[in-house]
Amino acid sequence: MGDTITKVKILTQYEGMSNSRSLSTYKEHGGYEALAVALKKSPDEIVSIVKDSGLRGRGGAGFPTGLKWSFVPKTEGKKYLLCNNDEGEPGTFKDRYILELSPHMLIEGMIISAFAVGAQKGYVYTRCEFFDEIKWLDDAIKEAYEAGYLGKNILGLGFDFDLDQYQGAGAYICGEETGLISSLEGKKGQPKLKPPFPAVSGYLGCPTVVNNTETLSAVPWIVKNGSDAYRAIGTEKSPGTKLFSISGPLKNPGVFEVPLGYPMMKLVEEDAGGLLEGEELKAIIPGGLSAPVLLPEDVKDLTLDYEAIAASKSMLGSGAITIIPKRQCMVELLKLIMDFYHHESCGQCTPCREGTGWITNILEGFFDKSATVDDIDQIYAICQQMAGRTICALSDAAMPTVGIINKFRDELVSYIERGTERERFSYI
Amino acid sequence: MAVFTPQIEEKIEHYLQRYETRRSAILPILHVIQDEYGWIKDEHIKELDEKFQLHRVHVQEVATFYSMYRLKEPKKFRILFCDNVVCCIMGAKQTMAKVQEYIVAYEKAGKDCPFSLEGVPCLGVCDGAPAMLINKDRHLKINPDNVAEYMERYAPLP
Repeated sequence: MGDTITKVKILTQYEGMSNSRSLSTYKEHGGYEALAVALKKSPDEIVSIVKDSGLRGRGGAGFPTGLKWSFVPKTEGKKYLLCNNDEGEPGTFKDRYILELSPHMLIEGMIISAFAVGAQKGYVYTRCEFFDEIKWLDDAIKEAYEAGYLGKNILGLGFDFDLDQYQGAGAYICGEETGLISSLEGKKGQPKLKPPFPAVSGYLGCPTVVNNTETLSAVPWIVKNGSDAYRAIGTEKSPGTKLFSISGPLKNPGVFEVPLGYPMMKLVEEDAGGLLEGEELKAIIPGGLSAPVLLPEDVKDLTLDYEAIAASKSMLGSGAITIIPKRQCMVELLKLIMDFYHHESCGQCTPCREGTGWITNILEGFFDKSATVDDIDQIYAICQQMAGRTICALSDAAMPTVGIINKFRDELVSYIERGTERERFSYI
Repeated sequence: MAVFTPQIEEKIEHYLQRYETRRSAILPILHVIQDEYGWIKDEHIKELDEKFQLHRVHVQEVATFYSMYRLKEPKKFRILFCDNVVCCIMGAKQTMAKVQEYIVAYEKAGKDCPFSLEGVPCLGVCDGAPAMLINKDRHLKINPDNVAEYMERYAPLP
């Protein structure tokens, strides 16, 4: 890939437009045209288009969207479509940007997706702290009802779909799809064992599809332009565009839409303007806090697609890129990461609830100088007993820990040996 | 005296009808109560049980599981400061220390300080790190030098 990458704007096509959130602006630029096209096709045709497009879940797991939809049984009865807008992975703020630009794109995507899977009712589950965004979404849903895009007999084409929003209350775990379902049922946001998968038995025991905001928002463009047009963007196994939210000590942090397969350092240095004066790159977290860290030499030629990042032993995740500067102490970083997971563990499974706690306790010893080098191996051993042994993937939080130990073991050892006197959390 | 005002009771009824099950309405109803009264009191939970048939155990489990619900009487201005990775790289801890200094200065003046400070994980606005919420207002790019100005807008030092 050279410097001439064409950036197709799909999710950010309303960027820079005044009043971009309003229905009139959305319609003026082709909004809700895909809906009219979709409702004249059969649901199976829509599933096929999305399957063929190669669209993969943009929330973190990267599961093929059309395939997920095809798991919904074709039986009669109540089905639900839930939008996971509980963007809580630290470093991630891409879904917020969609609501800021064009909530109608999400709504249109949800109506088409609901038609494809046969859902009559949908909810957008938004994290609690997005107070403004929830208001914008509320306004857009109201406009869509008034214009006949939601409710009974949409566009006179015989499809009924109701959409409502639901506000979370501050729990990271509700971003896990079965945790989200528990929360929507009015319970603690504790994940449920799979199988049964939500497509078969989800919200209130009914077939339920849970998709991320960004995934659903890409659907109108795909339906309107066809799966081949989408496949023409990005790489063979990771087609299309993706939003990357990039933050840290940068000149121009923010959300950027680029084709998958885009060079990581191009995003850092050109789109995000490079590091601030006087800052030097120490490491990059490529896909949200759960993704293992990468060193500058790992990312030098790295491209932003699911396969390339997996090959570098990390993950694309939610597309949240965090820049770690040279001045950042990795022991403190590790402590911040583990404090977060310990706080957010829902408490159901022992390896996660206790494991995250043990690790934070051991890390305390780094600060009060009681830690020994053996403690690093102890953390490592605990991590081995966490990942993959619980109901959900939160205990995979062990992954970034193992990543830091693997890449920065020398720094952790020297921190212990120096018996560092530095004041805790004295950044800069 | 009635526990809830008629307007709040109306909102509670609205949410009980709005969602698929009554239990699904617990989270939104607790938001309504907290917005109105500042926090969720035991008598609120009792009333939801007795008058609206929302089981006390069900309400209690939600109220205690989610970190945004307040079960103690709050200060007038609740500062939620992001102390996750990106905000800390950008100076959140030093800025939080200044918030604490402001609170101490307020108390030294012999007044009850209207601010409370909590560290919270990621507010989803890392491009504006360090970030904080004062009640429902989002403030971005807060640093040790400007944080006091933000706090003064809510309650200047006595």
